[in-house]
Amino acid sequence: MRSLQFSHDARPPAPSGAFWSAGRARSRYLLLAGGVAATLALAACGSSSSGKSGTASASGGGTINIGVIGPMTGSSAEIGNLMSGACYAAAHEVNAAGGVLGRTVSCKLIDDTGDPADAVPNVTRALATTGNLDMAVGLETNTAATTIPLVNNAHIPMVTTNGLPSYDSTTDTYFWRMTASDEQNGAAFVAWAVRQGYKRVALIFQNNGDSQSNQPGAVAAMGHSGGTMTANLTIPGDASSYSSVVARVIAGKPQALIFAADPQTSATFLSEYRQLNGGKVPPVITATESLTPAFFSTVQKVMGTAYMTHDIALIGTYISPSTSAYSLYKQAIYGTPQIKDPATILGVGTISAIYDGINLMSLAMDEAHSTSGAVYNSDIAKIASGTPGSVVVDSYAAGLAALKAGKQIHYEGVGGAIHFNAHHNSPGNFSASGFAANGSPTFLGEIPGTEVQSLVS
Amino acid sequence: MRVLIEAIGFGIASGAVISLGAVGFTVQFGISNVLNITYGSLMTLAAYLGYLLLQAGLDVWLALALAAAAVGLASVAFNRALLAPLIRRGTGFVGVVIVTVAAAIVLQYCIVAVAGPDTVSYGQQAGSTVRGGGLVFTTSQLTIIGLTLALMLALHLLLTRTQLGRAMRATAANRTVARSCGIRTERIIDLTWLISGTLCGAAGVALAISTVSFDFTLGPTFLIYMIAAAVLGGIGQPYGAMIGGLVVGVVSQVAAAYTSPAYQDVWAFLILIVMLLVRPRGLLAAGTASARRLAG
Repeated sequence: MRSLQFSHDARPPAPSGAFWSAGRARSRYLLLAGGVAATLALAACGSSSSGKSGTASASGGGTINIGVIGPMTGSSAEIGNLMSGACYAAAHEVNAAGGVLGRTVSCKLIDDTGDPADAVPNVTRALATTGNLDMAVGLETNTAATTIPLVNNAHIPMVTTNGLPSYDSTTDTYFWRMTASDEQNGAAFVAWAVRQGYKRVALIFQNNGDSQSNQPGAVAAMGHSGGTMTANLTIPGDASSYSSVVARVIAGKPQALIFAADPQTSATFLSEYRQLNGGKVPPVITATESLTPAFFSTVQKVMGTAYMTHDIALIGTYISPSTSAYSLYKQAIYGTPQIKDPATILGVGTISAIYDGINLMSLAMDEAHSTSGAVYNSDIAKIASGTPGSVVVDSYAAGLAALKAGKQIHYEGVGGAIHFNAHHNSPGNFSASGFAANGSPTFLGEIPGTEVQSLVS
Repeated sequence: MRVLIEAIGFGIASGAVISLGAVGFTVQFGISNVLNITYGSLMTLAAYLGYLLLQAGLDVWLALALAAAAVGLASVAFNRALLAPLIRRGTGFVGVVIVTVAAAIVLQYCIVAVAGPDTVSYGQQAGSTVRGGGLVFTTSQLTIIGLTLALMLALHLLLTRTQLGRAMRATAANRTVARSCGIRTERIIDLTWLISGTLCGAAGVALAISTVSFDFTLGPTFLIYMIAAAVLGGIGQPYGAMIGGLVVGVVSQVAAAYTSPAYQDVWAFLILIVMLLVRPRGLLAAGTASARRLAG
């Protein structure tokens, strides 16, 4: 470290032949710089990780707070925007119906920044300082492994949209999930490929938690589908070039790509595919996580509107647009003042699970006459499954009215019937969505959960 | 064999972009003795400036030239306004490095505040595909390779064939002695920051052309590759930085062609470690025959 004490002018003269002084001290400095740059790059990946959390509306008095735990800032902030939108819509409906046990509910945004390192202190602080934080939603894949234990230990029931397969067999008491795990979602990609008649499919997944967790399910399902997996590759995100990978994929002559990556990686990969394959790119099957304006605008700029509207299918949790629950949901989404982009929120099926989850937990509180998680948690399963003779309800208002009339209720929401298993999971069916020319979602078809299960079992 | 040749071609294309930035970085560090971590964020700034100019309807290469020039001037201002006063007041080497880290973070957040966190895209700027001898390039890749070579040659001629270049080398070797010999070292330093900042800006826009789309993390993400290229090539050796960039690019692409692409960068950095074990001062370390030849 002594070399660090040299001043600029005190350095030894440059060895002959060098353009300038190039001593060993500099090598050390550069290695130090490498470390600093790497740290900065890592910081950049999770940038905006200020740990900022905001309150959707003022809490206090008897207000019941709903903790929306998700990335509200940083590169994944769009997910937080979707989550908070679904919460605002549900809170709007619950409050319009008279609230829970006569108290209003409010969405409390808890910023996990999409980074576990920020998530732990931010969620811990929110749990310690937020009064009446009686339910939680969100807890997405990137941070779920660190945030779910915190919420579970605080005895707060949570409806999570995370896709981690490890939670398929969780024993966490306060954990509830009404969306498929990523493994099942990956299998649903293959189910859609089979339905479209694609026999040769290439699998490409970015090496981040969100994308790669779909891979095992997709690989397993390919084995049962009777089709040929022409490639199964994991790619780094945001590289300057994927040409060699693209060349490998092209060599397999796939009819379709099962592809999951962030917008930047997708744009780079697909544009190089087009460049190296004479302007042709096979259809892409991906996750509904990409059903966002950012993905559409970024990829559309390099692939064109025709490709976006005809050749991309986005697979995720199914919601049926023909049910009255969906109509009420849509009405709530469009009628809630805080929601700025209702079409996007409506198009992401997974997000409706947050709306359903808040309705379900609110009704469970009403049923239990308590806002204490330890008390009302067991009523969540009871209302979701129903009991003999119970009344089927598809909204909070209908459920509350039935409870006030002394009836037992069975909640079937936007995602349809809920069948929690012993691990508090209810994966349900899947849908395929597409993009309209303006980037809004379109419904392409339904994939029954049984069909997906047959590919992974 | 076809796959290997193809992958080498892809590696040259992606390595050229790294080289462009690495040459600027090594020049800046070599002459001014400031290890400028803000370099990465300045690349991001250039990419966004290029994006604005493209949105205004300018040709992508004109946008590159203008963004590069703007970042060159910004670099001079950055050094004059912040780093030079600190150095004059006796701030040590590490202190200055930390200031550049802080400035990088501030600049990055300013970019997010103005441009937002979402990905933006240059659109398809690759041009047509050119094939030959098993290699595949786009016209934009060929332009970037040509640009890198031309700038490299110009820099070489400047440093070895001109009075100004000799003054720059003298300033790098010992600023006090250079000043006592009548060299206006302040101006030399300004010029160094202008040249290296311009290369930094050009690299930022070239990166954005290559990745097609980008966000505020662009520069810091790739700075580590550029520093690696500078170390691999031999500190203070522009040719070395260029070769280092090509090695990083080629190894990454060849690894992606034959192994799991998820580990393509791991291979590149493993090669870097092995090469430094064999040649601790880099491929074109000062004092070697090749370095002497290249240095004139």
